[in-house]
Amino acid sequence: MGDVKLAFIVQRPQYKGETSRLAITHAIAYQTVEILLEDGDTVTPKLCFVGEGVLGLQKGQKAMDLYGITSTESHMKNTLLVDLDVLVCKEDLAKYGIPEDAMPDAEDMGADKKIQVVPFSEIQKVIEDSKHVLFF
Amino acid sequence: MKLGVFVSDFKLTADTLDRLKADKLGIIFVQNGVYHATTKENGKVSSLLDKTANLYALSEDIQIRGLKETDVDKRVKVVNYGDVVDLIFNEYDKIAWL
Amino acid sequence: MATLTIGCFPGLVGNMTYDFALKLAEAAANKGHKVNLWFSGNATGSIKSHQKHLKDYSTGEKYLKALLEKGVEICTCEACTVARGIQKTEGIEKIQWNAMHWYLAKIHSSDRVLQIGGE
Repeated sequence: MGDVKLAFIVQRPQYKGETSRLAITHAIAYQTVEILLEDGDTVTPKLCFVGEGVLGLQKGQKAMDLYGITSTESHMKNTLLVDLDVLVCKEDLAKYGIPEDAMPDAEDMGADKKIQVVPFSEIQKVIEDSKHVLFF
Repeated sequence: MKLGVFVSDFKLTADTLDRLKADKLGIIFVQNGVYHATTKENGKVSSLLDKTANLYALSEDIQIRGLKETDVDKRVKVVNYGDVVDLIFNEYDKIAWL
Repeated sequence: MATLTIGCFPGLVGNMTYDFALKLAEAAANKGHKVNLWFSGNATGSIKSHQKHLKDYSTGEKYLKALLEKGVEICTCEACTVARGIQKTEGIEKIQWNAMHWYLAKIHSSDRVLQIGGE
């Protein structure tokens, strides 16, 4: 069956609910799915943040210090470290006044991959090009 | 892309739905989403009913709320769980829960 | 016949989205389709056995056992489940425990996927 492309669309903000964080951790799980698949089969999620989903992605999060839990920022760094494509909607960042350079990166961990801030039309294309779309 | 979208809330999902484009869009109203099909707000029907001709509402979720099929807007087809399964497999190639 | 995989994140008690997921799974299985059901987040609390059915609340156990009998594969996210204080020995028999990659692997071979978020 080869590769199956998935669009993970996060539309809810982080922290109040668990769903938006679970989107990230489920996407990261693509790294180990091969142990359950036939040789040559893979799953490739693209993680996209739209609407209120763009809230809570900024650098400088203190979740571990204050609540003793892993921050979304830390999850995002891990996402980049395992080479997942992460797309954040440009229009929605602008709508909420969040500068693009507030997005975290994982350069300090050695990741080459960076968060891509893109127009919604590119996220629509990811949805169209994927076999399945999963809204979180 | 043929996209079937489940709408389960009365208020919250229009924003995302407004932006999604599909060659064929279907909206399946379930849970509190069925109010889009049955209820007018200040005399106006839900704007979601203008988004596509492919509108469905789950019978069980209409009845549980004390509503009747006669309360459902004429543009919306009332379906049961078995019909929803057929919609998922036969009418749309991707499905989404908003 | 085709394969439907449902990702269910909402809890058993507190809203009726969980009930929707189970009823859809049942309807698909009744039509002869292969169904996989993945529990994550609060939905994992529903795999604990010995649930008391109080009429004010939905019940999962009886329904889940019936789905298992129909051949529906059900798996709970192990991390989400143990985080809620539930041990494997307390779980409903025949419900699988695995990591999140189980869901992705089932998606790989599915014709349709319905991801139902938890809020």
